Amino acid sequence: MNRRVDDRNVLDKFIEDFAKVLDRHCKYIVVSGFVAIAHGRTRATEDIDVIVERLSKEDFEKLFNDLIKSGFECMQSSDPIKVYSDYLNQDTSVRFTNRENFLPPEAELKFAKDELDNLQLNNRRKLPFTRLDIWFSSVESNIAFKEEFLKSDKDIEDARHLRLVCKGEIDEKEINRIKSLIKKLRLNK
Amino acid sequence: MRDKSHMDQIERWAEYVKTHDDWKLKLKDFINAQFEIANRFYKELEKTPEGREKIRLLRENKVKRAVSQTDKKSMASVLKKKSK
Repeated sequence: MNRRVDDRNVLDKFIEDFAKVLDRHCKYIVVSGFVAIAHGRTRATEDIDVIVERLSKEDFEKLFNDLIKSGFECMQSSDPIKVYSDYLNQDTSVRFTNRENFLPPEAELKFAKDELDNLQLNNRRKLPFTRLDIWFSSVESNIAFKEEFLKSDKDIEDARHLRLVCKGEIDEKEINRIKSLIKKLRLNK
Repeated sequence: MRDKSHMDQIERWAEYVKTHDDWKLKLKDFINAQFEIANRFYKELEKTPEGREKIRLLRENKVKRAVSQTDKKSMASVLKKKSK
């Protein structure tokens, strides 16, 4: 995490600047495809998936206004109350881009919706190898989601990749515990 | 993570591609940045005691996947010929 600021590429800058604003207001995690890419998977993603802790309308308004002040723009609406009520509070994601350079990259932001998301937020970590100063969900939860819930070819390959690069450091018990929660809370099994 | 906002994004980007000449440059920067981040990880991984072995395993896995995809395609082509 000791890169010089001017060494940052377009994506480093976008996600670190976005995360810095989030950090001032709430707990967040970056999940899914970008976690695999940050772990060396050579594939592309269209967006950066972010989960934030569920906020009150007032607290979200403060976060939203700070994001706007910091140069980001919400694609769904410029009205924080509408974004909160019509999207985030209905468990629908919203997207933020740079105001100056509105495409791409893009962050897809959603509220934590259940115990499983809260567990991921509580177990969040920074990953020094990525040299990105942002909070990620754990490798274990990414593997569990990709193998048990998402399951596309791309997700299974991501999980395989994470298992290989993190060999010897993965907590299998934790993966199984998250998979059980996924079955219970997301798949109703 | 796929919901309505994802489809909106696809439509927005398609519109951008149709109406802006610089879309390739934007996309190039974005894609290159992702590969840069992936490569940065390998450089760090290589410095660890088990890093080289992990990188070797990843390469092996890539080759296996490529072979298995080729096998699937060959099998599909044989089956198609048989069905004719």
